[in-house]
Amino acid sequence: MKTFSIHIVIAIALSYLFFDYSSLLPYNAATALLVFLVFILLLWLSAVFYHPSYFRKLPKAMAFLFFFLKEMFVANIKIAYEIITPRYRMQPTVVALPLSARTDVEITLLAAMITLTPGTLSLDVSDDKKILWVHVLYLEEGGAEEIVQKLKWGFERRLLELTT
Amino acid sequence: MSIFHISLLIALTGLSVCLVMASIRFAIGPSLPDRITAFDLFVANMIGIIAIYTELTGNEDFIDVAIILSLFGFLSSISFAYFLMKRTHKND
Amino acid sequence: MTSEPDYLLLREIVSSCFILLGTLFMLIATIGLLRFPDFYIRMSAITKGATLGVGLILLGMAIYFNQADMLLKVIVIITFTFITAPVAAHVIARTAMYNNVPFWKETRLEAFREYLKKYLGKNSEEEVKD
Repeated sequence: MKTFSIHIVIAIALSYLFFDYSSLLPYNAATALLVFLVFILLLWLSAVFYHPSYFRKLPKAMAFLFFFLKEMFVANIKIAYEIITPRYRMQPTVVALPLSARTDVEITLLAAMITLTPGTLSLDVSDDKKILWVHVLYLEEGGAEEIVQKLKWGFERRLLELTT
Repeated sequence: MSIFHISLLIALTGLSVCLVMASIRFAIGPSLPDRITAFDLFVANMIGIIAIYTELTGNEDFIDVAIILSLFGFLSSISFAYFLMKRTHKND
Repeated sequence: MTSEPDYLLLREIVSSCFILLGTLFMLIATIGLLRFPDFYIRMSAITKGATLGVGLILLGMAIYFNQADMLLKVIVIITFTFITAPVAAHVIARTAMYNNVPFWKETRLEAFREYLKKYLGKNSEEEVKD
C-alpha cells in the first residue's frame, strides 16, 4: 500500500516533467494517461528487485477492482429495475456476517465495499469485532446462509489475499 | 443549437427534477436520518449540475467548486450524524 | 488536419452518452428515495446510485475537455466520492439504528433482534410501518 502510493506520486511527477520537456505529443488526456500508465508499469516491473510481495499483489488488486466495478454496475441495474416496476419483489433481511478479518483497516475496507455494492448495507460491527451486521435487500433460494457465503467468498477472501 | 447542447440541457433539466424530488423527501421525511440522506443527495446533484454547467459554458474554473463541495458534503453529513448520536446517548 | 472536427464530434457524442446515462441513474435513485417504504432500504439503494451517477457525469466531462489537469481534478473528485460515500452511509445507518428508526414490516430480523435488545435496552420495540 505504501509502495503503491509512492509509485503513484512518482509517476504523476514524472509524467508532468515529461510533458514539460518534450512537445512531441499533443497535450491531451489520452496521451497523458498513456504516459502515466507506462511509468506505473515500469515502476511495477522494477519492484521485483526490492519488494516482491507488491509485485505479486498488484495484478490481483487490479482484478479485484474490475470485479468490484462489474458487481456494482450489475447490482445498480437490478435496483433500478426494482425502482421503476410498481410491485416490490424484495425481501429485506438483516444477516450476521462472521468476520475473518482482524485488523481495523481490513474491517473498514470490507464494510465500505459491502456498503458500496447496492442492495447490501453494513449496519454495525459488534464490540468484539467478530460479527458484521449486514442489511440485505434480496434473498435468493438458499436463504440467509447463501448470502453470507457469497459475501465471504466473493469479497472477504479476495480482500484478505491482498492484505496478508 | 446542436444536438450536443440539447442533450446537455436535457441532463440539466433531469438533475433539476431530481433536486425538486429530493426536497420533497427533505420536507416530508419522517425521521432526521431521512433528511440527512436527502441532503447527501442534494450535494451529489449539485456536483452534477456544476459539472454540466462547466461543460456548457467552457469555463474551467467551476470544477474547483465541485472539489470543495464534495469535501464539505461529506463533512456536513458526518457532523449531523455525530450530533444525532451524541444527543441520543445523553438521553439515556 | 481534416480529421480534427471528427474527433470533436466523437468526443461530444461519447460525452453526452456518459452524461445522459449518469443523469438516468440519478433520476432513478431519486425516484427510489421517494418510493421505498423504509429508511434502510432507501439508504442502501440510493447512495450508490447517486455515486455512480456523479462518477459517470464527471467522466463524461473529462472526456469532453480532453486535458490532463482536468482529468486529474476529475479523478480526485471521483476517488474522494468513492471513499467518503460508504463511510457516510455507514455512519448515518448506524445512527439511525441507535435512534430506533423503524424497519419495514416485512424485514426479517430474527437474529438481529437480540442484538438490538442488548444494546438499546428498554425502548427497543420497533414500531412497524407500511
